[in-house]
Amino acid sequence: MKSSRFITLLIPLVLFLLLTVFLFKGLFSDPTERESEVLSKTFPAFELPDLNDETRMYTNSIFEGEVTLVNVWGVWCQTCAVELPYLTSLSDKGLRIVGLYYDQDIDPDFGTKTLNRVRREVVQTTNRFGNPYEFNIFDVYRNTSLDLGVTGAPETFLVDQNGVIRVHHLGDINPRVWRNKFETVLSGLSPELAKKISDFNESLEPINQPKGQSSE
Amino acid sequence: MNNLVKQAITCLLLITAGVIMASDENAAQVTREYAENYVFADPNKRKEFLELTEVLRCPKCQNQNIADSDAPIAHDMRRKVYELMQEGSDKPEVIDWMKQRYGDFVYYQPPVNAVTIWLWLLPVLFAGIMLVFFIRRRKGEDTMSQSELDSQIAKADKLLKED
Repeated sequence: MKSSRFITLLIPLVLFLLLTVFLFKGLFSDPTERESEVLSKTFPAFELPDLNDETRMYTNSIFEGEVTLVNVWGVWCQTCAVELPYLTSLSDKGLRIVGLYYDQDIDPDFGTKTLNRVRREVVQTTNRFGNPYEFNIFDVYRNTSLDLGVTGAPETFLVDQNGVIRVHHLGDINPRVWRNKFETVLSGLSPELAKKISDFNESLEPINQPKGQSSE
Repeated sequence: MNNLVKQAITCLLLITAGVIMASDENAAQVTREYAENYVFADPNKRKEFLELTEVLRCPKCQNQNIADSDAPIAHDMRRKVYELMQEGSDKPEVIDWMKQRYGDFVYYQPPVNAVTIWLWLLPVLFAGIMLVFFIRRRKGEDTMSQSELDSQIAKADKLLKED
């Protein structure tokens, strides 16, 4: 009798603790983190021109036989410029990187920029921060970005030799993100390349993570 | 006197409500300015378009619908909604199109599935448990009053008599 009463008294405390744990976890959860809808699916079908040469068209066949990192970017995006140097060193290590370029300001519905001006700005930006791109696909009406579930720039997709999306990352790419999200997937696809990049990241370690600083 | 106070309070409440409603209307007009860019032959379609932009959630500015948000992605999504409607898609089809790309997240009405069912079940369960709890407690009190009350009265009588 007495012990059952004790248990009844304990119920509110237990409920309170559970609620506390639940809410405490909420403090550290990332509200922007969502499951991507395109993961493990074929890259959405597209037919888009080269940013610098509108007569050159690209389709999904660009993915055939080669692991490709598709980087959604634009010169108007600050974070994209921040990740350019690191992406450039990744492409130096042999990773194929293709840009999916989009810019609302060229669209007469939204902005006033001309295509030529955007091309100039792209050259300026890549001259300054590095050019990791084999080529840039121009997502003229941003339909491919919508099909990919892109919410902003930069976003990056790792596409395998069969044109299937294996990683979808929102935000910039840096050594930490690479280790957490890309490394294992790439080593499943191309172990040699993954090894090369992880060795490169190791060599960066002292610069990016000084002693005593926790890896977030 | 009392009546006067009541009337004054009612008046105040009505005015407040009026002000709130007016400002709401204002806000709605501001956020719908973009709609002028989209031409609809059929006014019903236009209404449907506005409704859609209000039930679809901006994936970038997470607490705004695509009608409210000024994020580039919201612009693009509004245009896509318009395009899809011009191509003959109806409301559920547009919502499905968005869900396929941005997940259930993009629509303010969550689907009922194994995880989300608790949103509806938990309050009902909680109310049920509380009800059972109270009924049982009531009963407990009643039975005590039946059996133990007599003995307690007897005790009290005894004490009184001792005095």
